[in-house]
Amino acid sequence: MRKRIYSPHRGSLARFDRQFLSSASRFTYIGSGELGGKAHGLARVKGILDAKFRNAFAPAVEVAIPSLTVVTTDLFDLFMKENDLFEIAYSGERDDLVAHAFQRASLPVQLVGDLRALVEQVHTPLAVRSSSLLEDAMFEPFASVYATKMVPNNQPDADTRFRKLAEAIKFVYASTFFRSARNYMKATHHATIDEKMAVIVQEVVGARFGDRFYPHISGVLRSYNFYPVGYAKPEEGVAELALGLGRTIVDDGVAWSFSPSYPRIDPPFKSTRDMLKHTQTRLWAVNMGKPPEYDPINETEYLVQVGIEEAEYDGTIRHLASTYIPADDAVEMGIEARGPRIVDFSPILKAGLLPLPELLRSLKETCEEMLGAMVEVEFAVTLDRERCAPASFGFLQVRPMVVSTAAVDLDENELAGERVLLSSETVLGNGALDTIRDIVYVDPDRFDVMKSREIAAEIERLNGPLVEARRPYLLIGLGRWGTTDPLGGIPVDFGQISGAAVIVEASLPNLAFTLSQGSHFFHNVTSFKILYFSIRHHDEHGIDWGWLRRQERRWDGAFASRVELAAPLLVKVDGRSGRGVILHD
Amino acid sequence: MADKSFNAFEMAQAQFDRVAGLLDLDEATRQLLRYNLREYHVSIPVRMDDGSHKVFRGFRVQHNDARGPAKGGIRFHPMETIDTVRALAMWMTWKCAVVDIPLGGGKGGVICDPHHLSMREQEQVCRGWVRQLSKNMGPLTDVPAPDVMTSAQHMLWMLDEFETIRGEKLPGFITGKPVGMGGSLGRTEATGFGVVFTIREALKELNIPPSETTASVQGFGNVAQYAIDLYQQIWGKVVCVSCWDQTDQTSYSFRKKNGIDLAELRGITDRFGGIDKAKAKELGYEILPGEAWLEQDVDILIPAALENQITAANVKKIGDRVKIIAEGANGPTSPEADAAIAKRKIFMIPDLLANAGGVTCSYFEQVQCNMNYFWEKDEVLGKLDVKMTSAFAAVSELAKKRGIYMRDAAYVIAVGRVARACKDRGWV
Repeated sequence: MRKRIYSPHRGSLARFDRQFLSSASRFTYIGSGELGGKAHGLARVKGILDAKFRNAFAPAVEVAIPSLTVVTTDLFDLFMKENDLFEIAYSGERDDLVAHAFQRASLPVQLVGDLRALVEQVHTPLAVRSSSLLEDAMFEPFASVYATKMVPNNQPDADTRFRKLAEAIKFVYASTFFRSARNYMKATHHATIDEKMAVIVQEVVGARFGDRFYPHISGVLRSYNFYPVGYAKPEEGVAELALGLGRTIVDDGVAWSFSPSYPRIDPPFKSTRDMLKHTQTRLWAVNMGKPPEYDPINETEYLVQVGIEEAEYDGTIRHLASTYIPADDAVEMGIEARGPRIVDFSPILKAGLLPLPELLRSLKETCEEMLGAMVEVEFAVTLDRERCAPASFGFLQVRPMVVSTAAVDLDENELAGERVLLSSETVLGNGALDTIRDIVYVDPDRFDVMKSREIAAEIERLNGPLVEARRPYLLIGLGRWGTTDPLGGIPVDFGQISGAAVIVEASLPNLAFTLSQGSHFFHNVTSFKILYFSIRHHDEHGIDWGWLRRQERRWDGAFASRVELAAPLLVKVDGRSGRGVILHD
Repeated sequence: MADKSFNAFEMAQAQFDRVAGLLDLDEATRQLLRYNLREYHVSIPVRMDDGSHKVFRGFRVQHNDARGPAKGGIRFHPMETIDTVRALAMWMTWKCAVVDIPLGGGKGGVICDPHHLSMREQEQVCRGWVRQLSKNMGPLTDVPAPDVMTSAQHMLWMLDEFETIRGEKLPGFITGKPVGMGGSLGRTEATGFGVVFTIREALKELNIPPSETTASVQGFGNVAQYAIDLYQQIWGKVVCVSCWDQTDQTSYSFRKKNGIDLAELRGITDRFGGIDKAKAKELGYEILPGEAWLEQDVDILIPAALENQITAANVKKIGDRVKIIAEGANGPTSPEADAAIAKRKIFMIPDLLANAGGVTCSYFEQVQCNMNYFWEKDEVLGKLDVKMTSAFAAVSELAKKRGIYMRDAAYVIAVGRVARACKDRGWV
């Protein structure tokens, strides 16, 4: 007999009633099990959002959780059982084989009628997000470990819309058993068998612009700012914004970062040219046009990435950008002038077209109070096409953010010296470690950016045994870890480097990269108290490659090596100053 | 088996007369719908395994095809009568209409006992039945399906014979075929699941969580087993099931007060749905008389065996706690018993609505056969749920609006649709 479980916050939610959009309740569930982490987080803040925020910033901004229904974990259990999927799920097979097996399976009968009713009414894009049980555990966020799939849901017949939605749910279910998730589980000392997946089926926030559907703004708000600029204090938090779907921030690591308390202060670019160089140039959208090649096991099957100039045709950057004037080497707010655009959200953040910073400050405070912890909030905003306001603010997700509080004092003078393996003034995290004896590094002499995928595979091979042996290690690489652009660094997902306790990313003269704040790994890095060093080749301090190469190597690959030291390294990071140093014996 | 004095066709006609009154139908329409459009009586000679010859009597009744080709099962039963087949054909017309699928009503039967026939002999009965009726049936005329004691294998023999006679491939001739041979995924589960879709909706109306309910089920065949399966999935508890015992030629009820274990019972059940009572006893089930299923202290009764099981004689035995009766079988409640149930204000989900999942899925099978493109199981069951739920909502809304009994509301909708089709075609 199956065991019946209840989520503590499900009682306040309504059962799905087949009137998805017109229903009085916009937050419903199907099934009798758990809501999972993401949905649970939303359920916790739903009441206060409705009471405190719905009209607080009206008429300029209307705040709401976009209509959603949660498919609870018991239906995942039933799906696994009825289709005999346990064998393939735990087989360790390739992700695509697992995904294909899940696609061939049937969703439980209890679910399909409701899904069918849903697609018969809804014709706008839907996002299918994971909301797993282990995501619910405080201080162990599973950010981006599992898949999220968006479907355009605009096909003329309900049969096709149903099939696409069903495929998306099966894909998210399958992602529970993908390699990166399995590695992540090992790193967090969980068993995959403990995991149960709920999924959230949610309206995508945004509007249609030709063949694309996207929000004007996607954003992430964090309680703690590791890179405070000017007067800003770390506790005042940081927000990151991008045009289009949030994938740009989470996966590509490109965003406009600012303190909600000081929205007019720009990030610390060296020059206007530097600002231009790092501005968002591409955006993600749901593809509403010609159907793409059928590929149900591809997370981005229905997404498109286009250049920012397309957004100008769509008319969506009007309130979000400034223009670089080359003749003056200056930036002018708005897009009246001709010139390259900089997506800096100036009309909103500096000219105050929308009370977004005020709203974010208030949300941060409320969510922190509700969860009793520092938080990370994901949101999306759709603007009035002509006047910017009124805008719709969609609250997508809230989860706890973990920040180490142990104090480490690190003087600038300590960053150099004979025993220094490497040091940096741009380090994420806080604290000291004196147990690391293993180093995995990508040697600059053997590095070939054209072979970054092969390097990623080599690193993964090294990661596995170290995770198995529970030996946290120092990982040194070139370019940006986790980049989606293979030319921008090493395109790993977190599962492939999940055993690293300290991660270093370094640049080469011919390989510039941006800092990792706000990247895909940020949440994992902070949650697992991973110390994350960023070292530019022109920084005052760097890496003592000579010492590293003199150490005896336990393993040598085509690109990477593993060193096992006799004496542990001493790693020290001062989170308040962002300084860090790694000392050898 | 049903009481011999009971005449299903008279009962079906009585039900129709009552609804014709509610709809104020004109006399010509009443005369048209009160009887079948066509019925065929056939003789099927079969050479038996021992070399002897035996002639089986068979029927096919097409009650009405104003809304589309006639649709209905073919039954193999030693006690089969033409009046039972007539009644069932009429009920099929209403059933297709209430769930709003473009089909009419038909039914067929052969007087035989498959328990006493070898597979070869059964094949000969199937092929013989088709040979006699092939001129009067077809994908666009009359489409048979499995019913009492007939299976996917029987359907495949019939299809093969039909295609041989016609000289072409016509998978839409018959439904309930094996998956991979023109059958639809989800067909096996459809009727039983459909019963529970309607129970689920009724519970919503009564504002009772399924997890707080218990049920007793008559029958342990395909419909009953899948109904129990889904009912348990939505956290309901089944405490009693009954079934026919082939050896003892009587029925028994099997009770376990803390809930039956479906998988366990399936493991000790023969292919006709008969539970091994000795093994059941070993597993802790109480073995009670056949009618005991009706007397249980439960919230829901699911008669899912044969017609005329709840009668004037036993209706009083229904416990006070019963709130819903969902008719998984065709015509399980006699008119007298029905009146008593209505008086007690028990929420009745009538057969033509409750067990329409089977024919709805048969319709899906035909659609898929005609396209030669087959859907995934979840797609089939998703469509089925929506279709059944919509039909339930329409019936329930009418019942509330006009303050009438659920069965009457279902008939008003169904008969109204068929009468309209006959009128639109200019028949009456």
